[in-house]
Amino acid sequence: MKISGNWLKEFIPNIKINEKLTYNLTSLGLEVSSVVKHKGDLIIDIDMTPNRADCLSMLGIARDLSAVYNKKIIFPKIANIKVTPSKKFINKIDKKICGSYGALVLHGVDNTIKTPNIITQRLNKCGISKVNFIVDILNYVMIEVGQPMHAFDLDKINRLINVRYAKANEKINALDGVKYTLNKNIPVITDDNKIQAIAGIIGGDYSSINLKTQNVIIESAFFTPTVIRKAAKLFRLQTDASYRFERGVDPRLNNIAAGRVLYLMKKYSNVKNYQYNLTTNKELIKKHNHVINVKYNFFDESLGVQISRNFIKKTFKLLGFNPISYNDKIRLTIPSHRFDIKIEQDLVEEIARVYGYDNFEPVLPHNIFKINKDPSIFSENIINGLVSRGFNEIISFSFLPKNSQLSTNNISDIIKIKNPISEDKSELRASMVHSMIRAYKYNVSRQNANIKIFEIGKIYNFVKSKKIKENNILSGIISGINAENNLKSDQENLSFLDLKGHLQSIIPNIIFKPYKNIKHLNKFCQATLYQGKHTIGYCGEISQELYSEYGIKNNLYYFEIFTDSINNAIDTKYKKFSIYPKIKRDLTILVDDKIYVQDIIDIIGEKSFNYMINSKISDIFYNKKEFGDNIKSITLEFIFQDCNSTLTDNTVNTEMDKILNLIKKHFNAQVRT
Amino acid sequence: MQKKYSSLISELREKLKDCNTAHDIANIKSEYLGKNGYITNEFSKLRNAQESEKKKLGKELNILKSQAHDIILNTNIINNKTEERFVDVTLPGKNAFVGSRHPISITISEITKILESHGFTPVTGIEVENEYYNFEALNIPESHPSRDMHDTFYVLEDKLLRTHTSSVQIHTMLNQSAPLKIMTPGKVYRCDSDPTHSPMFHQIEGLYIDKGINFCHLKGTLIAFIDEYFGKKMEIRFRPSYFPFTEPSAEIDIRFKGKWLEVLGCGMVHHNVLENVNINPKQFSGFAFGLGIERLAMLKYGITDLRMFFENDISFLSQFERAE
Repeated sequence: MKISGNWLKEFIPNIKINEKLTYNLTSLGLEVSSVVKHKGDLIIDIDMTPNRADCLSMLGIARDLSAVYNKKIIFPKIANIKVTPSKKFINKIDKKICGSYGALVLHGVDNTIKTPNIITQRLNKCGISKVNFIVDILNYVMIEVGQPMHAFDLDKINRLINVRYAKANEKINALDGVKYTLNKNIPVITDDNKIQAIAGIIGGDYSSINLKTQNVIIESAFFTPTVIRKAAKLFRLQTDASYRFERGVDPRLNNIAAGRVLYLMKKYSNVKNYQYNLTTNKELIKKHNHVINVKYNFFDESLGVQISRNFIKKTFKLLGFNPISYNDKIRLTIPSHRFDIKIEQDLVEEIARVYGYDNFEPVLPHNIFKINKDPSIFSENIINGLVSRGFNEIISFSFLPKNSQLSTNNISDIIKIKNPISEDKSELRASMVHSMIRAYKYNVSRQNANIKIFEIGKIYNFVKSKKIKENNILSGIISGINAENNLKSDQENLSFLDLKGHLQSIIPNIIFKPYKNIKHLNKFCQATLYQGKHTIGYCGEISQELYSEYGIKNNLYYFEIFTDSINNAIDTKYKKFSIYPKIKRDLTILVDDKIYVQDIIDIIGEKSFNYMINSKISDIFYNKKEFGDNIKSITLEFIFQDCNSTLTDNTVNTEMDKILNLIKKHFNAQVRT
Repeated sequence: MQKKYSSLISELREKLKDCNTAHDIANIKSEYLGKNGYITNEFSKLRNAQESEKKKLGKELNILKSQAHDIILNTNIINNKTEERFVDVTLPGKNAFVGSRHPISITISEITKILESHGFTPVTGIEVENEYYNFEALNIPESHPSRDMHDTFYVLEDKLLRTHTSSVQIHTMLNQSAPLKIMTPGKVYRCDSDPTHSPMFHQIEGLYIDKGINFCHLKGTLIAFIDEYFGKKMEIRFRPSYFPFTEPSAEIDIRFKGKWLEVLGCGMVHHNVLENVNINPKQFSGFAFGLGIERLAMLKYGITDLRMFFENDISFLSQFERAE
């Protein structure tokens, strides 16, 4: 809300319009977002928080300032307005919509007269342009005291005013040139014939004021905030009126505002006589004046400093709470303009902000708390491991474009956003693979094809009848060459084994088992990952389908780890090791290419040969001419060692013979010589 | 020692003098100490020696062996020096991997480390949340204008993408009893997109509930946090604001390049919120705060467009290689 500094002087005489003023406003919670100098005045723009509806006027802001400047405010002059006994203009008012309806009727107004400069200039500073005399006066009073009002051309009103909810499909052509189709949630002002306004939001075009208007009904009413809010939200319509009504306009203000309008009309135009009709729900008004009794020391306990009783009492007096001290308590009557004050705690803020938040001493609490690690917060070791192996961490949107996951997920598992911000962000990711491929593709388009990236994030799925499951995932993708900065002779294209190497280096005790059933991976190049007996993820080359869906030409290797399943706590125990010499033996055999080397090593391992402490593959070799199709030559390396003495060749030879027989038997292997 | 053994040593020394490469030395080593080397063979001859001689000979051979060994070893070092060759040390190191962490992750980790030192335990939670935990439990009724501050994504009638991580605080307060001191980092979502707003962004919120916690504690903790994060005493402004779940509420601005920048929202936990999670406000009080990670990261690294964070351009990401 924009206000004029000089205008404040009418409420607080001699207030200095300077930097101290803007500091005080912000310090009161009326945050100054900008200050513009304008012909000896300051135009101050205030970001109003939604709880401070009472400060959407010069009066409200001045009232808050009065507590800091310790000066009573001067109220604008109002005409003594009397309610006309006969209700000539108001018929039925729906109490749920409207707690008080005042109708100020003026005859023979000359609406062609020029609005006084002081009014148009002030309105202009507050960002409101001039319209015509009557409307300008109403806008002026709205900015001045905070009461939105609406004027109807009396000659266009057929008999009596009603306030009710619209019926389905009733329509109104509003002042903004839009034709609104209404429904039963929209409050309206009607006469006997038609809908004349959407209550508290916008007037109708038909009965609007123009230069020819002579006779007017000026509506000064209290509308229920929730009703106005619901309707305004439905039409996505925010007017100066709806903005104030939905936040809460003082229900006692409408008569005062009508009096102020009458005063200004009399002062600036030929208006002499008036009629004023009023329908008020007295109970509602009473509800807006509840009483709270607070112990003085509640303020001290909440704020952590001793605050003098005088200060508390004086502050509440200036803010209009009518304080009365008794014993160790203060009795406060909540003014009807303070919709935001409901409980004791709300009163503490009043004192704190007038005292000045900057004036409280910072104090560190010194109770000691034990830190409990959330198990779902992922191990920094694994992340740092990836980073030191050259991976870049990415963060992608949890959203993906419409129907972009059909190749990888069941449509019924995918969670769609009901009100997406755009089509390319309209569903939640059900796996990480698309996020990864998209990030890869984006970088390729930026001439960066050597990619090693990872992300830690969630995937979201529907499981069984609209139940939602979120899983924490670490996933990554690699493509291109091993190390860009290596000399050409040391560069190699990345392969599945590079991916495997990375994972083996960063995840303790990881085991890879061949697998075929993950749809979005190449079925000849995929593995599930285990730690002990627990599945912790999978990895492999992406499927042909994904390659062609994304038009990717390079090989992409993907991994996905279920971070909640990972066990980082390794139970380390020292094992005694032998100090006697090791004997190393190699064995080269020819086997079918489809045989997994791990199977050979596992079978040897199960048999537990004497003195054999380790076995591994050391080389692999293909030679179609010599071995034939689909045959590979593998060299296995075995290490033998005894705990108590030096082994002899004979002993080892015996074991090696046994191993060879076993391999021959199980894998139809031939010894290569 | 036998004469032939001592001449053997001088012979060895002569031979080593002629060596030019490490390979030559290795050959000489195997000539003397290898499987079929001279000294090794002398050992095998021991078996045929007379019992009386055996012990003495064995001892001498051992000395010889260790002498020869030492000489070869030392020659090795001297000869390596004479062999000095030019190596271009400016060539790229082999397999030098330079990865990076995302600036958002770095910022979260820096913040959580500071807060941990103040006793806040990290807690995470679900992102697709029931409306109740995101709004009503936090004293944000449906009709309240403050819901305008949260443009919310819905996935089902009553399921939404959390607009703040305060929902995690509600779950934690319901599951644990007071006192508690937690922080909740994570992703949050709002229907908003422009250079300063992203539909997905990151937040960290803190919550401390205990007996006798007051406004000065809130101020003390947060000022300490900000100074620690920026690594120096910052010019800070503490001003009243409004959040439905705190009362009094405040916002903290820091002075940055001559302008006040809002970095953190906070306040004393609203009694309605405490009652909603069965904590007696007469017994316990507390404070809560929340801050946007992107905003802090932008300030710290001088990033001007929020969208950079989620484009995942390696040229952007790789700049943060050692930022931690």
